[in-house]
Amino acid sequence: MSEKVEAKKWGMVVDLDLCTGCQACVTACAMENNIPYTGEDETAYGRGLHWIRIQRYWKGEYPEVSPTHQPVMCQQCGHAPCEPVCPVYASVHSEEEQINVQVYNRCVGTRYCANNCPYISRTFNWFDYPHPVPESYSLNPDVTVRRRGVMEKCTFCVQRIRHAVDTAQAEGREIEDGEVMTACQQACPTGAIIFGDLSKKESAVSQAARSQRSFRLLEELGTEPKVVYLKGGGNYGG
Amino acid sequence: MQRKKPWWQNAGLRIGIALVMLVLLGGAATGVVITQKAPQQPIEFPHNFHVGTGIPCAYCHSGAETGPVAGLPSIETCWGCHQQLRTNTPRLAKLAEYGSTNTPIPWVPVFIQPDFVHFNHRPHVAAGLECKTCHGDTAGQTVAEPIPGQNMGWCLDCHYKMAPENFTRLSDCATCHY
Repeated sequence: MSEKVEAKKWGMVVDLDLCTGCQACVTACAMENNIPYTGEDETAYGRGLHWIRIQRYWKGEYPEVSPTHQPVMCQQCGHAPCEPVCPVYASVHSEEEQINVQVYNRCVGTRYCANNCPYISRTFNWFDYPHPVPESYSLNPDVTVRRRGVMEKCTFCVQRIRHAVDTAQAEGREIEDGEVMTACQQACPTGAIIFGDLSKKESAVSQAARSQRSFRLLEELGTEPKVVYLKGGGNYGG
Repeated sequence: MQRKKPWWQNAGLRIGIALVMLVLLGGAATGVVITQKAPQQPIEFPHNFHVGTGIPCAYCHSGAETGPVAGLPSIETCWGCHQQLRTNTPRLAKLAEYGSTNTPIPWVPVFIQPDFVHFNHRPHVAAGLECKTCHGDTAGQTVAEPIPGQNMGWCLDCHYKMAPENFTRLSDCATCHY
């Protein structure tokens, strides 16, 4: 068995012109990835657990104000600031999937990575949050239930990537474009999130990323994010 | 005149430390032994007999070829054959009790991985690995016995030996840990 599988460059495009800020992605992410509900008090202390959040901005002067929304998750940097600072190599770059992975069993909870992340996309498990009986039935068996003292973040739903890659391999074919859907993409009612392989020119995500509306968050830092945002500035159709 | 002994030469202290060390080491050794021993099963399943009669592993552990989990046999799988066979030994009588009332047998899994490890049987079977490479020679066992020291180094060691050209993929953290 010496099949040559090329490294996938998973990437995501978020169309901010389509995003309505409905938070469906936040909910779907919490369901898919066993993210515990920390509650109001903990969140007020800054201990809320979210792998994706909706940033809200206001445009215009009162009373003519309108909100704009921006979902922000781990940007899966190609040159990630979180990686070199981890003293125990818990935050490592996956050569295979070209994403940034967090190895929970290595993490000792120094929180250095979160402090070095310019996107504030990492969250820390301050406590063991309980999963009482009706809730524990909804836990995803494909995702680790993290315990107290580990850092966690968006994984680009790597369990779904692994599942799709494994299925494709079992059926002896290449993985198709759109076969891997992240939970946030699946839940998005307006289809604002596109996920796929950025290394393939014809994939939906590559085509969207080449749009003139595209930009990346904090591009000037040289982190090479894998998440591309689209925003037209209100000038549509010329 | 006798000089006063320094505190670290105090016999009581030394005996105390020795006792504490003994208890700790004994506890650790017991823990290691307990985790490396085969757990108590509801029925002392004779693997040696079943493998010896030529039943393929996948007949009972049917998930291994198609999915991540090989699985433990349901009562239907056991009873499917055994309802036509004799039940005159204590083990078979116990099986008949489960089978006639259609109660699932509470098998205790032996080869278990921690929550943060996601092992997948299918690619291993597809790569042509035999079951006994990882599970030991079950033809010589009654109940399944764990392999000592089956940790990540054990996995990676084999991955490196079997396919050095794919080692980047096979040693990737995201392959098993997510």
